[in-house]
Amino acid sequence: MKTKQFLIIVALAAIFAGCATMPPNELVNARQAYKIASDGQAAELAPAELHKAQEALNFAEQSFAKEPDSAKTKDLAYAAQRKAQLAGAVGAMNADKSLKGRADVAFEKKQTEIIQQGKQDVRDAENQTADVRAELDKQAALKEAKDKSDAELAVVQAGKEKADADLLKQQTETANQAKQDLRDSEQRTADARAELARIGAVKEEERGLVVTLSGGVLFRSAQSSLLPSAQVKLDQVARALMSVRERNIIVEGHTDSRGSESYNQGLSQRRADMVRNYLVQQGYPGDRIQARGMGEGAPIANNASAEGRANNRRVEIVIER
Amino acid sequence: MRHVSRIKFMVCAAAVAAVTIIAGCANAPLRTEASTSGIRAAEEAGAAKVPQASLHLQMAREELAQARELSAKGEKEQAASMLLRAEADAELAVVLSREDAEKTEANAAVERVRELRKNNP
Repeated sequence: MKTKQFLIIVALAAIFAGCATMPPNELVNARQAYKIASDGQAAELAPAELHKAQEALNFAEQSFAKEPDSAKTKDLAYAAQRKAQLAGAVGAMNADKSLKGRADVAFEKKQTEIIQQGKQDVRDAENQTADVRAELDKQAALKEAKDKSDAELAVVQAGKEKADADLLKQQTETANQAKQDLRDSEQRTADARAELARIGAVKEEERGLVVTLSGGVLFRSAQSSLLPSAQVKLDQVARALMSVRERNIIVEGHTDSRGSESYNQGLSQRRADMVRNYLVQQGYPGDRIQARGMGEGAPIANNASAEGRANNRRVEIVIER
Repeated sequence: MRHVSRIKFMVCAAAVAAVTIIAGCANAPLRTEASTSGIRAAEEAGAAKVPQASLHLQMAREELAQARELSAKGEKEQAASMLLRAEADAELAVVLSREDAEKTEANAAVERVRELRKNNP
């Protein structure tokens, strides 16, 4: 109602004023529409349309200046209003297009992401499958290796058993050989003993086989150099000993009780040394033969008689067990 | 006065005749092509389905009809001027129809993105 009254007042005022300065409603609307459009997004998004609207408004204003009341002015103003509205609509449309474009880009981007993620998932799954397969292969390889190693172990064990058998056989052979050697050695010892028995008195004693050679046969009285007859005798002894050369031998010199004890000790040592040296010369190993001077301390007969003293003057060759 | 008026009328008539001869088109039929094609474009753009566009399409049709009326009454100039209204409304109807379609598409695109993001966080 207020608007109506206002319009009536405006209309009356226009009549009184002769209508000259009052713009028609169309022009008022056109100005307002243009202001709205140019203040809005049309300025940026629909500049061409806004420009046309401005031109249309200018035509209307020019027409209004010339013929304020004419139908043409009103029609031009009306058209200008519509063009301003059109500019606004085009602006909105372009804004929508832009929004749609951004949304489409965002959509494609997201879709690409999803596809990438999907591909990644597929790759992950493939990797996992590959890992599992690799693990299975590894286990299969391990099993194969174990089987192979078991087989090899069996071979090795068989080899070991054979080696053990060989070793046992060898040991048996060695033992047999040793037994044979021992038998041979014993045989040789027996032979040597028989030989030695022909040369001098032979006794089995605790310390071994003792061959006693009479001092009178070997040395002159109170001397330590060998008689020629002694060499013959010692050659025989040496030959007999050669067959038992792996035994240790001790050559003991003994005297009777005449003369000083220290003299007899030295004499018996020299005589033992002489015999030892002779045997070594004949080829018996030096490291297996010792010489000991026993002096007058180990008589085997009474020194009171000449016969007893003769028996005490002697050289004993002890063949150790 | 009557005589003067008659002379005036004759001068006027002569002037009109002269203008007609010179312009050769004063009596030419009303040029409604822009209006009719604009209205057809608005119809094709689907203005009937968009309330605001439909309103301006209706206005354009009425203004075209008024222009034809004016033209039929001999108000050639006013008729031509009225055609400006019809053309302007038809053009606006076209743009409003397109704008509505764009808005629908834009909203759909935004919604599509929203859905996609919601389903694939």
